Amino acid sequence: MENIYLAIALSPLLGAIIAGFFGGILGRKATHTITILGVLVSTVLALYVFNHHVLEKGEIFNQNLYTWMQVGGLNVSVGFLIDNLTSVMLVVVSFVSLMVHIYTIGYMDDDAGYTKFFSYISLFTFSMFMLVMSNNFMQLFFGWEAVGLVSYLLIGFWHHKESAVEANLKAFLVNRVGDFGFLLGIGLVLAFSGSLDYMEVFSSLSATAGVELWGLDLITVICLLLFVGAMGKSAQVPLHVWLPGSMEGPTPISALIHAATMVTAGIFMVSRMSPMFELSDVALTVVMVVGAITALFMGLLGIVQNDIKKVVAYSTLSQLGYMTVALGVSAYSVAIFHLMTHAFFKALLFLGAGSVIVAMHHEQDIRKMGGLYKKMPITYITALIGTLALIGFPGFAGFYSKDMIIEAVHFSSLPYADWVYYAVVAGVFITAFYSLRMFFLVFHGESRVDHHTAEHLHEPAKSITVPLIILAIPSAVIGYFTIEPMLFTGWLDNAITVSSSHVSMAGLKSEFHSAGAMISHAVSTLPFWMMVGGIVTAWVFSLYRTQWADWVMNKCHRSYYVLDSLYGFDRFNEIVFVNGVKKLGNLLWKVSDMGLIDKMAVNGSARLVGFIGSVVRPIQTGYVYHYAFFMIFSLLIILTWVLFAGDNPLLQIEF
Amino acid sequence: MVSLSDYLILSAIIFCIGLVGIFVNRTNIITLLMCVELILVAVNTNFIAFSHFLGNEAGQIFVFFILTVAAAEVAIGLAILTLLFRNKGSINVDVTNSLKG
Amino acid sequence: MEFEQILFYVFSFWFVASSLAMIFSRNAAKAVLFLILSFFSAASIWILLEAEFLAITLILVYVGAVMVLFLFVIKMLNIDKSTLRAKFAGYLPLGLMVAAVIIAEMVLVLGSAQFGLDVVAAPVRHGADYSNITVLAMQLYTTYVYPFELAAVLLLIAIIAAITLVHRNEINRKKQSIPEQVNVQAKDRVRLVSIASPNKEKK
Repeated sequence: MENIYLAIALSPLLGAIIAGFFGGILGRKATHTITILGVLVSTVLALYVFNHHVLEKGEIFNQNLYTWMQVGGLNVSVGFLIDNLTSVMLVVVSFVSLMVHIYTIGYMDDDAGYTKFFSYISLFTFSMFMLVMSNNFMQLFFGWEAVGLVSYLLIGFWHHKESAVEANLKAFLVNRVGDFGFLLGIGLVLAFSGSLDYMEVFSSLSATAGVELWGLDLITVICLLLFVGAMGKSAQVPLHVWLPGSMEGPTPISALIHAATMVTAGIFMVSRMSPMFELSDVALTVVMVVGAITALFMGLLGIVQNDIKKVVAYSTLSQLGYMTVALGVSAYSVAIFHLMTHAFFKALLFLGAGSVIVAMHHEQDIRKMGGLYKKMPITYITALIGTLALIGFPGFAGFYSKDMIIEAVHFSSLPYADWVYYAVVAGVFITAFYSLRMFFLVFHGESRVDHHTAEHLHEPAKSITVPLIILAIPSAVIGYFTIEPMLFTGWLDNAITVSSSHVSMAGLKSEFHSAGAMISHAVSTLPFWMMVGGIVTAWVFSLYRTQWADWVMNKCHRSYYVLDSLYGFDRFNEIVFVNGVKKLGNLLWKVSDMGLIDKMAVNGSARLVGFIGSVVRPIQTGYVYHYAFFMIFSLLIILTWVLFAGDNPLLQIEF
Repeated sequence: MVSLSDYLILSAIIFCIGLVGIFVNRTNIITLLMCVELILVAVNTNFIAFSHFLGNEAGQIFVFFILTVAAAEVAIGLAILTLLFRNKGSINVDVTNSLKG
Repeated sequence: MEFEQILFYVFSFWFVASSLAMIFSRNAAKAVLFLILSFFSAASIWILLEAEFLAITLILVYVGAVMVLFLFVIKMLNIDKSTLRAKFAGYLPLGLMVAAVIIAEMVLVLGSAQFGLDVVAAPVRHGADYSNITVLAMQLYTTYVYPFELAAVLLLIAIIAAITLVHRNEINRKKQSIPEQVNVQAKDRVRLVSIASPNKEKK
């Protein structure tokens, strides 16, 4: 079994190395064949692993494969922890990565860095596997950093575009802020438990009861710090500012990294650490509130975006907020469930957007699109399926996961849970609104496409449309089939711990009957009518009376300004952090470096020596009689000393 | 009777007069050299006084040699003085300040 | 007050007085003459101390040669004729004070408590047939013969050094010969040469 896990991790790495170093020699066809083969091997093996662990209830695999270092009592090694949670993540990551690899053949066809791109996305897949399969904090951090690095490389893939370079730097720096909190959390874990291995840490958690740090429980501080890392990676407010900028990268990576896999690493990490988070209500409340803020406010931003990828990006931010809310109310399996469904339909939406972009010759503004459904039927239908899944239309995947989240919040007893409930319910309306707005503006209505592009408009190549079709299938049906086993009959039981004081899961279980019953029950729930309201509003403003949209925009121009400037997060970061650091750097340069060190310490010591020299120099008068006088005077002193003072004076004087 | 200490005090006085002459003198370098001679003669007197009172001729032999060396030193000193006069044009003590810092 | 003491005080008075006069005199020649007087006083004191040979040597060698040498140099450089300002004021008090302190301390050391007659007895005077030269010679040519030879070598070196310092080497010197310069004529110094003009047109 061990070799299978190694093969899952290493075959994309092998593909990445071959594509990276030999891509130029091998040529495009050979490169993409090799890398897709690598990821295909991983996908097949991941399915096998899933079958073995989850369906056949295999044993948890927890072994260290290679000791990296041993420092004092600390043993840091490369090891794998394969349980049901890992298996689910492996399937999701490998499947979406495979789809993106196939899609890239068509999307990056006319790009000069074709082989480099394949190398990077295979490398990313390897890093994500290492992160998910790790059994200790160090390997987790390695995978964490590695996916951040590859994300940086890929966002700035078109490095001659200045906006891309700025965006990738921003992504890396904001991630760094999150990583800083993450490292502090890992350090605290190491400090109190003396080990970085998950199982050893979890078994020593009882020792933290009652220990306080900075006025809070130790376990709360640790969980909050770890969550800061998750905030950076999963783009929660206020560390969300990098995700919209990451749309500068090619669309395949937006689908792979910023929708399905990397941004879910934070959610995965919190689920993995469920034994720790369950011990701290404060941390869980913070997680829930932050998630709710992200879900609601990022959704609002999605309404006013005009770039097709940006709409989907803000949608991703909002859905990540939903997953975080689920984590906060201790419904970890619901969060993972939504993570899985979201991976499929968000990747589908991104790839569909990419298909539209390619057909429109890289035009991304939705105000210049319209009426595309006639020319691009496959894209249209798959995008429709994805949108219905996103907004939670009964029967599709998103419906099950989102409704479960809302119900879980309803059952929760944490403080502020009622406000969060209103926020997530309002979020349903907003989600439906922006999704359908984008859908209608792109595919329906009169064509606002400019004449030249319209002539060449056609469905893109098979390598682009086939992944769309394949992804549409789970987006539609996976919710129906997996909700009961994943949430209620214990698919994730051996990975996730829920304490008995957190009643959300128990409440959900008591209310659940079957997947089919949920559909028929849906008409009587508030979220359903919120969704319908959103659809109708979108139809009114996008298709029926588009001039009303302009009227509303002019009337509420202040609110529009707030939304358009993205709540001022970017401006705030620019003014406070960027300018602050620049000023600090200036100050340190001028005052400390030039003034203190150069002028006072370095030049100052030289000038001091010169000064002392100039004071002492006049003693050399050049006149012999001066020197003679000094000699005689010294002689006098010595004479006096010898005669009267000292230990054995020559003369004893009695006065 | 004249005691040894009288002679010694006399030679001490002459010695100090010579010292004073060295750094009080502002006229010329010749005076400087002459004060050095004065110091030497005071030291010689000292030696001879001791030689007389302790009955040891070694003091007088030493004076003999001191006289020899003093003569040689005066010769060379005056040669240097002549050179100095050639180069500087005067033998005022102030002209010998080339090593001024 | 014995005769010896009277002599001693007279001679030492002249010794000190002439020394003081020497250092305070402005005329260099007068200073040399005062020094000669102080040497005579010193020689007299040495005779009192029964060192006749050295007293005479002092007169003959020191006064007769060295002081005369001084006078030679003074007259050669014409120092006594030039006006030299004697600036005493600044350093004199300080110097006198330092000297007074040194003298006081030395008196303390050399006073009668340490070297008086009860500590060091007055020696028995020699008889009339005492020859100071013989006694010195006996010591000089036996025990101290090496320093004696070395002193001779030292004198030789002094001669060579003094001559080398002052000697003007004619070969490496450039000096003017005024009569030659005055008798120079134009034909010895100037030669006219005709050169073809590059531009024939421009005149």
